[in-house]
Amino acid sequence: MQNLTKKFGNIAAVDHLDLDVEEGEILGLLGPNGAGKTTVILMLATVIKPTEGTATVGNYDIRKQPDKVRGLLGIGFQEPKMLWVATPWDVVNWHAKVCGLSTSDRKQRVKDVLSAVEMWDARHKGVHNLSGGMRKRVEMAKVLIQRPKIAIVDEPTAQIDIVGKHRIWNMLLELRDEGSTIILATNELYEADQLSDRVGILHKGKLLVCDTPKKLKDSIVGGDLMDIQLEKDAPPKLIEELKGMKEVVDLMQVKPTSIRLYLNKVEEIVPKIMTLFSNREVPITSVRMSEPSLDDVFAHYTGLTIEEAQKDKE
Amino acid sequence: MRAIWFVSQIAFFGLIASRMINVTAVADYFRYYVGGLSVMTLYSAAIFIGFDIYEEAEHGVFEYLLSLPVSRQQLVLGRSIGGGIRSFIYVGPLIAISLYVMGGLNPIAFLISLFALFLFSFGVSGMSITIAVMIKSSDRFDIFMGVLDALIVRLSTAMYPLAVVQAANPAYGGIAAFNPVSFAADLFRWGTGIPTIITLDNPLWPVLGIVAFFGFFTLFGVVIYGKRIEGGSWR
Repeated sequence: MQNLTKKFGNIAAVDHLDLDVEEGEILGLLGPNGAGKTTVILMLATVIKPTEGTATVGNYDIRKQPDKVRGLLGIGFQEPKMLWVATPWDVVNWHAKVCGLSTSDRKQRVKDVLSAVEMWDARHKGVHNLSGGMRKRVEMAKVLIQRPKIAIVDEPTAQIDIVGKHRIWNMLLELRDEGSTIILATNELYEADQLSDRVGILHKGKLLVCDTPKKLKDSIVGGDLMDIQLEKDAPPKLIEELKGMKEVVDLMQVKPTSIRLYLNKVEEIVPKIMTLFSNREVPITSVRMSEPSLDDVFAHYTGLTIEEAQKDKE
Repeated sequence: MRAIWFVSQIAFFGLIASRMINVTAVADYFRYYVGGLSVMTLYSAAIFIGFDIYEEAEHGVFEYLLSLPVSRQQLVLGRSIGGGIRSFIYVGPLIAISLYVMGGLNPIAFLISLFALFLFSFGVSGMSITIAVMIKSSDRFDIFMGVLDALIVRLSTAMYPLAVVQAANPAYGGIAAFNPVSFAADLFRWGTGIPTIITLDNPLWPVLGIVAFFGFFTLFGVVIYGKRIEGGSWR
């Protein structure tokens, strides 16, 4: 994506977005509702045209060769798109037909995919009688039956129970392992963290940062917390030594026997801290570690939690 | 409902009105009217694809259709032909009633006229899609199509021969002579063996007129669909 921009009137839904998606990766686009995720997806899918800039999908430009681009993509929409056809079987079968699957392949694949999303038993139910979660599963079935080179899924597990979420996550991972590149738009931090090889944080149409979840978490200065409980009061000299370590961003003595450390590069510094306590013969009763979440990362880059950003948008 | 309306138009209006009308250009107004009524019904059924467009916009099906690995041209052509076939399926039994009422058949002429009716039906569907994506408001579309229906059907030869329209007002006659509803109605009558009351001397002209109508709205539909369908603001 190069300088990709979409304006609706004077409002920039997507604002000069530059982003590369690596082949075979899952790229999470994380942001609250209204951040511009769906608009990015619709532009990539050639459903809407960019106001400025462009994107290359495969080797095809979305402005110049939209038909070729669509041939590479499979999209699971945020709101399941049910057609005038009546049942999950019809929806998936029709989709497969339009995507060019032969009649003989189609019959078996529709069965396999509907079974995989546990919709085979409900295949003849009217789509308007399906629950939100069931509709989402039919939407996912459309992507799975297509086995596209590039799959784009927009909030694939919204309205789905936790068991269903895990099932869909596994399907997405399998799709990636089979060679598909996946763009996952989500406002669920845990989902982005669990599935994404890299996460791009979108806020008000702008890409704030994009990196692996680990690097994003590490990018928060002092983001890792270490709470240490001691048997006896902490010696002042030890406190000074801890403060002198460059990876210790801050130190708070909550109680005489309780220390909270804000750390960088936690993997490197924790053994050094433990060695220091051992060498100074200061007995420890408990240690509790906590690393930053993507919510902390989001808050770090936007100054808001994702819920606050959502309310701010509303 | 459409079937009840259709049958009542034949059974009441057609029968009663034909007793009032004595025009030299029409040997049997009742049969004339039944042929025209079939085309009017086909027209109103084919128009419905435009309302489907609004339903699809409301349910967000547009985005899905536009993201499919088919070209915009294929999509519009598919919608036009789909809408045309659907209207033919709806109106098919009514056309069968018309054929029964109108009587004699010349098989070749009938097949030509049936083909022309298919194209007419696809053309009306294409027109309806084009207007729907241009207007983007279901209320305005409803009003506009009501007005268009009133004009395009009334200023055609569906209900009265061209000579009578021209006699009433030459401008009306001019419009009726180049109206796709006139072409379709006259061809259908011609195909069902009523050649004496055809509006135009040569059936080739209405066939070409319908082909042009279908071609124009399919091509125009492709252009308009590509330009207007994105960007929301559907009401």
